[in-house]
Amino acid sequence: MAKSKEELLQQLSDCVFEMEDENVADAANEYIDAGYEALDGVLKGLVDGMNRAGQMYEEEEYFVTDLLVCSDAMYNGLEVLKPHLPLDQDADAVNYKCVIGVVEGDTHDIGKNLVRIMLETAGFEVYDLGRDVPLISFVEKAKEVDAQLICLSTLMTTTMPGMKEVVEMLEKEELKDKVKVMIGGGPISQAYCDQINADGYAVNAIGAVTLAKELVGMA
Amino acid sequence: MRTIALPRQNIKFNYDTDIKGSLLNILIAQQIFIESPCGGRSSCGKCKIKHLGGDLPPLSVDEEKRLTQKEIEEGIRLACLIYPETDLEIDIIDQEANHPVLTGGYVPEYQCNPAIWKKPIEITKPTLTDQTPYEVLFKKALAINHLPWDVLRQISMGEGTYTGVFNQDQLIGLEKGDTSELLYGVAVDIGTTTVVTSLINLRTGEEIDSEAAINPQKNFGQDVLTRITYVLDHGKNGRDQLQTAIVDSLNEMIQTMCERRKLSPSLIYEVAIAANCTMMHIVLGVDPLSIGKSPYAPIFVEEKDISAKDIGLTALSSFGRVYCLPAVSSYIGADIVAGAYVAKLHDRKDKVLFIDIGTNGEIVLSNRGKLVSCSCAAGPALEGMNISSGMRAADGAIEEVHFDTEKGFILEVIGDKTPVGLCGSGILAAIRELLKHNFVTVRGNIVKPEELEVGDPRLSYIDLEGKKRRICIGEGPTKILITQGDVRQVQLAKSAILSGFVALVNAMDLTFADLDEVIVAGQFGAHLPVESLVGTGILPKAVKDKITYIGNSSKTGAYLALMSLESRQEMATLAKAFDYLELSVTKGYERLFVECSQFNVK
Repeated sequence: MAKSKEELLQQLSDCVFEMEDENVADAANEYIDAGYEALDGVLKGLVDGMNRAGQMYEEEEYFVTDLLVCSDAMYNGLEVLKPHLPLDQDADAVNYKCVIGVVEGDTHDIGKNLVRIMLETAGFEVYDLGRDVPLISFVEKAKEVDAQLICLSTLMTTTMPGMKEVVEMLEKEELKDKVKVMIGGGPISQAYCDQINADGYAVNAIGAVTLAKELVGMA
Repeated sequence: MRTIALPRQNIKFNYDTDIKGSLLNILIAQQIFIESPCGGRSSCGKCKIKHLGGDLPPLSVDEEKRLTQKEIEEGIRLACLIYPETDLEIDIIDQEANHPVLTGGYVPEYQCNPAIWKKPIEITKPTLTDQTPYEVLFKKALAINHLPWDVLRQISMGEGTYTGVFNQDQLIGLEKGDTSELLYGVAVDIGTTTVVTSLINLRTGEEIDSEAAINPQKNFGQDVLTRITYVLDHGKNGRDQLQTAIVDSLNEMIQTMCERRKLSPSLIYEVAIAANCTMMHIVLGVDPLSIGKSPYAPIFVEEKDISAKDIGLTALSSFGRVYCLPAVSSYIGADIVAGAYVAKLHDRKDKVLFIDIGTNGEIVLSNRGKLVSCSCAAGPALEGMNISSGMRAADGAIEEVHFDTEKGFILEVIGDKTPVGLCGSGILAAIRELLKHNFVTVRGNIVKPEELEVGDPRLSYIDLEGKKRRICIGEGPTKILITQGDVRQVQLAKSAILSGFVALVNAMDLTFADLDEVIVAGQFGAHLPVESLVGTGILPKAVKDKITYIGNSSKTGAYLALMSLESRQEMATLAKAFDYLELSVTKGYERLFVECSQFNVK
């Protein structure tokens, strides 16, 4: 007997949640072949699984690397579903845009990648500038794409002052109210966030999503 | 002017209210010892104080995050987040007694030929008919072409017996009488955490005494990056503070050894230093900033041979020298060059992996003498930091743990004291046992009590705090718990080191099975038994029977630099022969890191 839509969505969600990055493509094909909407498959299937994984991460049940494998599964599934998505979906909807990267002087990007994944999962349009990013690039990119949020990451205490510089650049260009700055990484604390006048600090990728939504006023 | 009192330690001091700084800074300025691994960035939660009197501002968000409810109720605060506004009465929590640092290790054979040597000479008094200047007489007797000005002014020259002191072919000093039997040097390893010095008889090669201490720079931060950041924040002044701290400590340690051995410091002519690149920059007063930022290019890596007094090192002969061993790069320092040399990696005809485990794990792979290295940021978890019950290896620290289904957790505690917390080797032993007895899964999860059958011996050790599961391994003044977060910290460190290990082996197109030996170096590594290294998956199980220990090979390298010019030359050549793999930009590294995070890597 053919599986119901709910069963197939559950299957997609479970593939992501249970890190079955090799089975997810089959599940996605099965879903499409059965004739169901690709968009639901993404949001109620793959993204749902990623959100469940994020929840587990917050509860310390999942490790950083588990989330990375979940995200691999999610992207594998997306590859199958994407060609079937309607082209001009949500033309009127607000697009929340964010620029993310590891600040100049640091090349450690696993944490940043995780935040990017979770932000994408949450529906942000993410512009990832990568690692060791010249500080001015954050501001330029934010202006270019009209982003509401800049996310700065660093693992090294030596490069923390770069975060302050980005905040100052925004202040100088009088963009500080328009573009929020969120910071994170091993050595960062709320005290540092307050000190440099950034808009928020999140301790991990899940907290980052909640905070990002709050900062841009996403429902 | 305000007062701060620490009644338990019987300390009371005044400070100027113009000084704007956190309580931590005020205490450090008074040279009152307080744990601050993160250098006052409010990210480690270790600089705990107990509030006894005076007014404090309300709890900050970071304090709420880093302190337990119980601690908050007891009035525990974090010194780095408090900006005092009144007189205060406090107590510093977690004072630790010092634990002896391991100093020894394997010493290879070497050609005895110290850079410093002496030559006794006889000078006959000039006569009225032959008014030859003393300079000429000394030059002739010493067989040199030039007598440096600073030597001329050292002593009054006359007739009789003298001894010339040479640094290779340079005359550096003159002493009255025949002192040729008295010739000493000091071998030094400056680690980020500990400093070790050995007093060496340069005539015999004998190690007469040794002395170890905690690196006093730890008041400015636990790891090299926080110290570099201190310099970044405080400029030249900060750089001087860090240099003075380490140089003063070296002077003191040398003095202590001399007093104990009834030896005049003026008979010490050379100090040879091995250290990581940051420590070397700082001890020489060179700006370390570029080490801490991509592209991670240091100011210098080559060997240095300088006058000791130029860096403030005074506990030796006034014309004493300092020799600094060469490094490879920012994260492969002279300590690793020394280690690779002591392990004779360049001469090996087989395949050997050398690993120095610490806050940074440095790994060198020798494929029949061809060397490739990498450095992995393991973080401080393996040294007991960032661990909820973590502490330095001191009295009261659990250093070994065994689990027995009958007897439960059996703890070995330093100093046979009541257990207070876990040091690095203890946390690894605990995780090893938790994995072995299935308290923790290969993915790093503490088992859920509801998934265990009634009567399972594990149940009585699982301690619940809301939904969070913790394992109680013993009880001292408080419960000693391993939290899920602790397991994750070790898992991160283990993933970092193992992925570096695998990346190097892959880069040389080898497999684990191809390795003939895995050499564990460093004083911290020497405390880690094979069972813990393999049982926690820091090193793969496949190399279990190939692991050997070499001890503090960094200090041994410094010793060889003192004793043998040939060794110096070979180390300088060796340093240039290293290839370096920058892991963070290596293709597929993230994937490798994921694979290495599982606890069951074969």
